[in-house]
Amino acid sequence: MKNAGATVEEKIDSASNGWQGPTGRRTDEWSECLTQIAATGDRAAFTRFFRHFAPLIKAFALSGSSLSAAHADELVQEVMLKAWQKASAFNPEKAAASTWVYTIARNCRTDMFRRLQKFDTPLAADDFMPDQEPSEPFAMLQSRRSRDTIHELMGTLPPDQAQILAKVYMEGKSHAEAAAELDLPLGTVKSRVRLAIQKLQIQIDR
Amino acid sequence: MAKFHPSVDLLTEYVAGILPLAQSACISAHLNYCPQCQQQSARLQDLGAVLFESLTPVPVGDALLNTVLARLDEEPPLSYRRAQDPAVGRLPALLQRLMKGDFSELSWNKITSSLSISYLKTGDTAYEFALYHIKAGGRIPEHTHRGSEMTLVLQGGFSDAAGSYHEGDFLFREASDTHAPTALQSEDCICLAVLDAPLRFTGWKYRWMNPFLQLRAG
Repeated sequence: MKNAGATVEEKIDSASNGWQGPTGRRTDEWSECLTQIAATGDRAAFTRFFRHFAPLIKAFALSGSSLSAAHADELVQEVMLKAWQKASAFNPEKAAASTWVYTIARNCRTDMFRRLQKFDTPLAADDFMPDQEPSEPFAMLQSRRSRDTIHELMGTLPPDQAQILAKVYMEGKSHAEAAAELDLPLGTVKSRVRLAIQKLQIQIDR
Repeated sequence: MAKFHPSVDLLTEYVAGILPLAQSACISAHLNYCPQCQQQSARLQDLGAVLFESLTPVPVGDALLNTVLARLDEEPPLSYRRAQDPAVGRLPALLQRLMKGDFSELSWNKITSSLSISYLKTGDTAYEFALYHIKAGGRIPEHTHRGSEMTLVLQGGFSDAAGSYHEGDFLFREASDTHAPTALQSEDCICLAVLDAPLRFTGWKYRWMNPFLQLRAG
């Protein structure tokens, strides 16, 4: 595996557009990087990965200003260490690296909130993940399309809807908290979330 | 397959990680019965990832990078595959973890001749997280709530004026809905119920019990 690093760089160059091949295997830069980390324990690759994601995780930790700078750094450390340790569980056919990192960051932040509030619970945020995740190729294809569609449509959202989504997802505010903060009726907040979800074509028939 | 699902509002709060722990556990348990809600959650999670990627990065110093690099050789925490205990069949692993055994090993508080309740400890001090065992054909006396109630059918089924519910079905009722659920005739029904205020019986026969129905959160 001695020239593995160079090989990955080449692959990234040839596949900078994201998708490749009928299997739909992810070939975006960060998924390749994560696969490389898992395969060879490549610290240079990890360093690149860290430089890209650590500032996003820190931003996530500080949104809503509910965590101190020290706790935000602790969260960055925890998430990046987990990414290193769990890299071999990353499946590029199921998710993009960014979705994978976001999920770890969200779970770690939830656990940190609970620790800080001195919750005495036998459960960690990872325990809330479903026992089996959908693995059929159809579901995975749907998921990939969904993410790309969301990405494309995000720019078309009216600012008031985008603002609420950021409050809920990034700042971790419940609909009721967002309503109180923006001085809006709860019903307005809920309908903005619903409208945004419709516009982004996220809702499925259940 | 489940026919009654959490609303998109609830799933959004669940995916964003902001639902109270006990409610979150109930939704997570429903997802184990419901591929559609799993898929809906996956999409809501994609939305989270897109928002995450579009955050304005906050600079992180090299000191932190070096701290993490120095810790890479640490032994990772033990990970294990979550096993399904055959004794409790297809119950979600999360519930098995809280129950620490099967239904017969729990301690059940008898409330009426057909209703027993077992309280599970989640650590969430605002919500009661309990299993309701209703005997086949048995009825929970008509009651109302001052808070909200999430219900997930784990075994058997029950019906009320609004419909009939089976394994995996999820119901969310806001404060002050009055109902009198009756278990299906064919078998005993076991439900998970998550409440933030105690039940209030409304019929004259059971109203005397209300002062004894304290919320057992924790």
